[in-house]
Amino acid sequence: MAIAPKANSVREDLLRVEGVTKIFDGIVRAVDDVSLTVATGEIFALLGGSGCGKSTLLRMLAGFEAPTKGKIFLAGEDITNLPPYQRPINMMFQSYALFPHLTVWENVAFGLRRDHMPKEQVAERVESMLSLVQLTKYAKRKPHQLSGGQQQRVALARSLAKRPKLLLLDEPLGALDKKLRETTQLELVNIIEEVGVTCVLVTHDQEEAMTMASRIAVMSEGYFLQVGSPDEVYEMPNSRQVADFIGNVNIFDGVVEDDESDHVTVRCTDCLHYVGHGISGNSGMSVGVALRPEKILLTKEKPEGEYNWCEGEVTEIAYFGAYTNYHLKLNSGKVIKAQELNNTRDLSFGLTWGDRAFARWSDLAMVVLTQ
Amino acid sequence: MNTNMIKWFSQSWMIMVYMFLYMPIVTLVIFSFNDSQLVTVWSHASMRWYVALMSDSDLIAAVALSLKIAFFSALISVLFGVFTAFCLNRYKRFSGRTLLSSMATTPLVMPDVIVGLSLLLMLVSMQHWLGYPERGLFTILLGHALLGTAYATVVVTSRLREMDSKLDEAAMDLGCQPLQVFRLVTFPLLLPALVSAFLLTFTLSFDDVVLSSFLSGPGYSTMPMVIFSRARLGLNPTINAVATVTIVVVTFAVIASSFYTSHQERKRRREIAQAYSDTNK
Repeated sequence: MAIAPKANSVREDLLRVEGVTKIFDGIVRAVDDVSLTVATGEIFALLGGSGCGKSTLLRMLAGFEAPTKGKIFLAGEDITNLPPYQRPINMMFQSYALFPHLTVWENVAFGLRRDHMPKEQVAERVESMLSLVQLTKYAKRKPHQLSGGQQQRVALARSLAKRPKLLLLDEPLGALDKKLRETTQLELVNIIEEVGVTCVLVTHDQEEAMTMASRIAVMSEGYFLQVGSPDEVYEMPNSRQVADFIGNVNIFDGVVEDDESDHVTVRCTDCLHYVGHGISGNSGMSVGVALRPEKILLTKEKPEGEYNWCEGEVTEIAYFGAYTNYHLKLNSGKVIKAQELNNTRDLSFGLTWGDRAFARWSDLAMVVLTQ
Repeated sequence: MNTNMIKWFSQSWMIMVYMFLYMPIVTLVIFSFNDSQLVTVWSHASMRWYVALMSDSDLIAAVALSLKIAFFSALISVLFGVFTAFCLNRYKRFSGRTLLSSMATTPLVMPDVIVGLSLLLMLVSMQHWLGYPERGLFTILLGHALLGTAYATVVVTSRLREMDSKLDEAAMDLGCQPLQVFRLVTFPLLLPALVSAFLLTFTLSFDDVVLSSFLSGPGYSTMPMVIFSRARLGLNPTINAVATVTIVVVTFAVIASSFYTSHQERKRRREIAQAYSDTNK
């Protein structure tokens, strides 16, 4: 399954990381032979759980850690050994790291003053940054006099003030509460796109990565599992780990029965899968079939045909208003998750605990995982 | 009945503790206004000993010397304390780190007598072989700085530890070279800790008698040393007068500083409350 090149991949590469490895204390491989390119204007997310090496990679881009091996290029220039204060890269820290003894204005001006920019220009730039993040009237406040969301915007203004070639965001929304997060997310993306800065962000929150980034690298144990656009990573995960990490998924273990160029059939304990695309494998090979809960339709009537459905007992129901999550215990004892959209106000759909129900899905709903 | 009893008991207990702590000081202050030659017998009130203090050039010289030593030893202690605290906090991995960290604070638990004696032995043999240093102001300063450095290290370390090390990185990220990071970020944030370390080591030096006795030479007597030697010869009420002056100065300093800190804290709280009410508008 070839993935069509995206329109933005035509743009030139700004950041190029070549075979970067970081080993701590001689034994801990935090980052293991990672290569990547980020195009100008792109928002690139490093996604992974804690200890997957995403923060170490970010710190190497900022210059706080030196790679054990490999090279980092920015706009064609080798910056591997440049100290942080000589890189045209700025970072927004997770805890914001605003200077508590300086006012908002002075915080934003801090980087500009280090470059010996003339006073009037500093003032002009700071004003424009503050109006960009809508904090003009808070210019004289100290950081502790601001709410969490405002502090975050000061941190953003400060990291953008020097017009860096590359902006690094370390868990940009990690310190905000859930409600504030959703609005801030969009605000942040709007500002970044308005400025047009290339951006690498680190997060453990898959929703954050999916909504903000144009491309995502899923990381685990120091290397990339998969790199792709949010929909590619979600709909076409290349391994069980990726499928499992991004969103919810049901994975059926099975054996390939019939592998044709336009379809595959996979025999599992509870059902027969008919997948509407070919895979590069051979019959008899054991594979996993990944099926997202929202792609499953629950019915009380037995579906027609002999494939892409299974039968079970409803064991859990969680009502979320817009949708309901069901757990279905199949005959083999395997439990699958199904998510049903509540698209009518009809309360009589009436699947309840202990009912027998049928789950069915289309032949384009699943992905065959050979790894 | 129970709560009443507890209240009564705790209040009288509190009064007793405070009496235990402050009666001697109050007595001392009262007797500094005593006219009698004898420290323990009250005759009638007078300012006689304060007048005598004015002309007691030995005691005044001793106070001046104590102040001088306290000031400079506090300065040296804070400087060295900052260096040590930085090494221990910011450079996590270097050989001898554990040794340095335990040795830096050893003088805190070492009895002053031992420190004083060992310093004296070292100075005596140094003088024997090198002809330097003469015991006097410099050697007292040295001893006090040695003790003060340990205290200053502890104070500065605790402040450094609670400071976000990301601030240093943020400064570097925005274009600061390491020295600028210290000047523009670390130092201003460390300032309150430096002030309290200075005051602590100043006080330590000002009331030290053990180290000073070991390390001083002829003609160099600090205030505590003079008081001690006079006490041995029979107390003179001038001592009460000089003690009262000291107490008054210290009390004013403490009250002023606590007013200042509580004012700052109130201001800060007001500002935070203001910030939140603004955002919720």
